[in-house]
Amino acid sequence: MSARRHPSEERLLAFAAGTLSVPEAVVVATHLALRPETRAWAELGEAVGGAMLDDLAPSGLEPDALDDVMARLDDASDIATPVPRTADPSLPAPLRGFALGPWRWLGPGVHVRDVLGPRDGDCRVILLRIAPGQSAPRHTHGGVELTCVIEGAYATEEGVFSRGDFEEADPNVTHQPRVVSSAPCLCVAALDGQIVLPGRLGRLLAPFVKL
Amino acid sequence: MYANRHAEARRHGARSVTSSARAYDGLLSRVAQTRDRAAFAELFEHYAPRVKTLLMRSGSTPSAAEELAQEAMLLVWRKAHMFDPARASAAAWIFTIARNLRIDNLRRGSSTLYELDPTFGMEEPQQPDAILSGAEDAQRIRAAMRTLNPEQALAIEMAFFQEQTHAQISQTLGVPLGTIKARIRFGMMKLRAFIERDAGASA
Repeated sequence: MSARRHPSEERLLAFAAGTLSVPEAVVVATHLALRPETRAWAELGEAVGGAMLDDLAPSGLEPDALDDVMARLDDASDIATPVPRTADPSLPAPLRGFALGPWRWLGPGVHVRDVLGPRDGDCRVILLRIAPGQSAPRHTHGGVELTCVIEGAYATEEGVFSRGDFEEADPNVTHQPRVVSSAPCLCVAALDGQIVLPGRLGRLLAPFVKL
Repeated sequence: MYANRHAEARRHGARSVTSSARAYDGLLSRVAQTRDRAAFAELFEHYAPRVKTLLMRSGSTPSAAEELAQEAMLLVWRKAHMFDPARASAAAWIFTIARNLRIDNLRRGSSTLYELDPTFGMEEPQQPDAILSGAEDAQRIRAAMRTLNPEQALAIEMAFFQEQTHAQISQTLGVPLGTIKARIRFGMMKLRAFIERDAGASA
């Protein structure tokens, strides 16, 4: 059976409902930006949300609510100033609003940088860049890992993942993606906790590598 | 109290509130195109009290829900130019505004300013085969929801209205997480199949 390359329907519903953690939502949104065909699922969830909103019983508002809001319509002073966009403009739109940390060496041909901002407890977003022909260090997963390919392609035991493909790591599976594109492979990932690097290489790298 | 607000809407020039979803799409388009304040007042009448209910069911206190509902309607005014009636119903679009505002508000304590706008910031042309478009959505979605079995419908509703993660729904109902995910997945697939069949039949 070939691997699924899009988020599960239930994850897309959680995205639409707004119950995903922010780091997870950022990776799902990146996938949706690159893969418009999946957007239909998120839009289905939003349409369900809209239909439910229409059917909700109204709650009483403050007596002046409408007047207050009408009076503020032309008042631009309380519009939040946009966040400075310091990120790489070549990234997909959902990632552009975030500042990026410096690239850090993680192993031969492997670099990582933080996407600053989206965090939920230990869960955060990173960009991972792996050179052609290189593998990420073999690792198991300390927590849920969602990955979306932005450029290039990698292959795992499950198949080839290329631009826009979304992978949800199985905590029971040891994972060693290998880059099969001729250009470096750039991925965005949501990590919960530390990635556990097994074996001798893992123990060797552990003191140096902090994902 | 509701009658009071209705009178206010009239003072602001709103015409009588119609219940048709298509009418709300038209109102929102008028806000977008001509900055029509009367149309906005009418949208406010219908949606602000419902957004407040939505936020209270998501765990906001009544006063926080009131404030966020008003903020959400201000965003509806300011972002109306982004509303594309070919892509979403007014209800779905306002739902996403309220959802994003709630998430943004939850994160404000941290350094994150999180905003995923309803179009995910994408400028690409829309797909010609978008399964949902515009005003008839709400009706079709409701018809589709009636085809779900009660367990599927409940799991999907809880995901929205109590803002529960699937793990929390599993705990609340005392049903394994895998079962909840399966109910949601099959429910979503059934909704989509019904809508696509429905769209095919009416095309």
